[in-house]
Amino acid sequence: MTANFLIGLREGLEATLVVVLLMAYLVKTGRRSLLPRLWAGVGIAVAVSIAFGALLTFGPQGLTFAAQEAIGGGLSIVAVALVTWMVFWMARTARSLGGELKSQVDKMADGAAWGLVLVAAVAVGREGLETALFLWAAAQAAGESSQPLLGALLGLAVAAGLGYLLHRGVLKVNLSRFFTWTGVGLIVVAGGVLAYGIHDLQEAGILPGLHSLAFDVSAAIPRSSWYGTLLKGTLNLSPATTWLEAGAWLLYVIPVLYFYIRANGSAPAKSSGNAAAPHAAKAA
Amino acid sequence: MPGTPLPKMASRHRKSLALVAAAAAVPLVLAGCADNAKTPGSNASAGPIQVTSTKTECKVSTGSVPSGNLSFAVKNEGTEITEFYLLAEDGLRIVGEVENIGPGLTRNLVVTAPAGKYTTACKPGMQGDGIRSAFEVTDSGNKTAVDADFQKLADTGVQQYAAYVKDQTEQLVTGTKAFADAYAAGDTSKARELYAATRMHWERIEPVAESFGDLDPKLDAREADLEPGQEWTGWHRAEKDLFPPAGYTALTAAERAKIATQLVADTEELGKRTRTVELSADKLGNGAKELLDEVARGKVTGEEEIWSHTDLWDFQANVDGARIAFESLKPALTQKDAALAKSLDEKFSALQAELKKHATGDGFAYYNELSATEVQQLAALVDALGEPLSKLTSAVVL
Repeated sequence: MTANFLIGLREGLEATLVVVLLMAYLVKTGRRSLLPRLWAGVGIAVAVSIAFGALLTFGPQGLTFAAQEAIGGGLSIVAVALVTWMVFWMARTARSLGGELKSQVDKMADGAAWGLVLVAAVAVGREGLETALFLWAAAQAAGESSQPLLGALLGLAVAAGLGYLLHRGVLKVNLSRFFTWTGVGLIVVAGGVLAYGIHDLQEAGILPGLHSLAFDVSAAIPRSSWYGTLLKGTLNLSPATTWLEAGAWLLYVIPVLYFYIRANGSAPAKSSGNAAAPHAAKAA
Repeated sequence: MPGTPLPKMASRHRKSLALVAAAAAVPLVLAGCADNAKTPGSNASAGPIQVTSTKTECKVSTGSVPSGNLSFAVKNEGTEITEFYLLAEDGLRIVGEVENIGPGLTRNLVVTAPAGKYTTACKPGMQGDGIRSAFEVTDSGNKTAVDADFQKLADTGVQQYAAYVKDQTEQLVTGTKAFADAYAAGDTSKARELYAATRMHWERIEPVAESFGDLDPKLDAREADLEPGQEWTGWHRAEKDLFPPAGYTALTAAERAKIATQLVADTEELGKRTRTVELSADKLGNGAKELLDEVARGKVTGEEEIWSHTDLWDFQANVDGARIAFESLKPALTQKDAALAKSLDEKFSALQAELKKHATGDGFAYYNELSATEVQQLAALVDALGEPLSKLTSAVVL
């Protein structure tokens, strides 16, 4: 029960985190109207995953291991690219908020907002197939015992609950600081997703170096413990990380953070608490 | 360009892009499909292979199945999350895995596995090396749809051969160091003893080594083949010094040390370069043929080891190298031309049996001890093998 709960929690958190940060951003910039698009993206991903998972579980054909890993790994890398683009787009629009540029921003938002659907769909869909296959397996076991399915669903529910709490919490943060930190948060999360995708491709044998580990702390942080689960679910930190994963993480996070901080003009501005952006005058 | 404003036009553009991407993904996904072996029949095995994972055990219902699409149903009867892996024989390469098997769950793994030896592993608690056991896939002979995935078989063969080359190179580097130490120190008897055995690692992978045009002459030039003005270094320089002909002036200690140092440096360089060598099925096929030609040209005539007369060691190593290349390609070749594969098998065996006649202890008879008839016999078998072997590349690649 607990173990299945933890799987549900981990997979749930991986999907929830990006969505929560995107949601908070939309609410903060007064674009609640775009929320349905975000949910549409999530909905599409969930529906496709569940349907596809059912097809593979009950249909005549299964998916070979390499194909499954390639889908998970490939989508993860696409998700990273999309989230990165999103973060920079946010950084730009955040600066022109409340200024006379507002109408322009909204015009631009409309174009990019379709991107929101895509980002949400890919962020959720990348792990969706694996989660769906896991859930269907739990559903199949329900004949003998409903515990696994219950545990898995509870895990997902708790992940969603934590996501909601985070969402509430994030909304309390003042605006300019909020933008910097959600951006930083998204970049760190995306770095984890990238490492995860690399690992999947290594397992499928598409990328080399599966057995050259940069570090292995699985003795200290067992993957089946609750804290191991949380670290994996939020930061995608794997206790046994290969050099290629670690390298990709560093090569992504460091330069992207640098450019992001630079794009934000400077360090987080002094809290002003209102929507007036300190850099509105400095058109980029 | 991150953050570029995207006008309406571009969003239309992006949607069609997404559509194209989705359309492209469908065949990719379908290509990764495999039959869920739920019905007995095609595979002669009734349904999936049952695996039960507990805290201390990893029970696999059978240790041997016919090749084709294998389907494992992995049931977790422990209390921790478990994972199941099907690993290649080396225990490193993942052939297939299924993660997130919570307690009480059964999850399926579908893999396509050619005949060979494998390792199964359950990882209760998702860490460590897991509970492993040997697993064998026998040749079913009937070609399932994916079994016909010829390219995959060829690729797997190339990978296997690359591993063999790596292993031989490593042994060559280690062996060469030991030989060079003994030779430089003037320990003639030890150096003589190591000479032929160490060279075997070189001879086994000769085509790969020869692909580096600059290293081959430095390491393996014979006195008779030297160009005017070419400095003579490498194995045969040491050979002449260790097995001196009448009237030969021995090298000084300093000269010996120089040859030894150079030999080790060149061999290490060779080791470094082979790691990045790109192998392919045609290189394997041609390499096997080259090795046999090498035997016919140099070993049968006794020219290679003109002073040490250890030609049979080289002979055996060349045959080894050719045979491993052929065997790596065999699964692929069997699909294309089973008759050729069979004929090669027989001729390799015949030659090997004849070579065995001259084996003594760890090594072989010296070549100058063989009678003309015996040499003739070997030459005839080499020629008999060379003929079908020359068809190997075209059979596999075309």
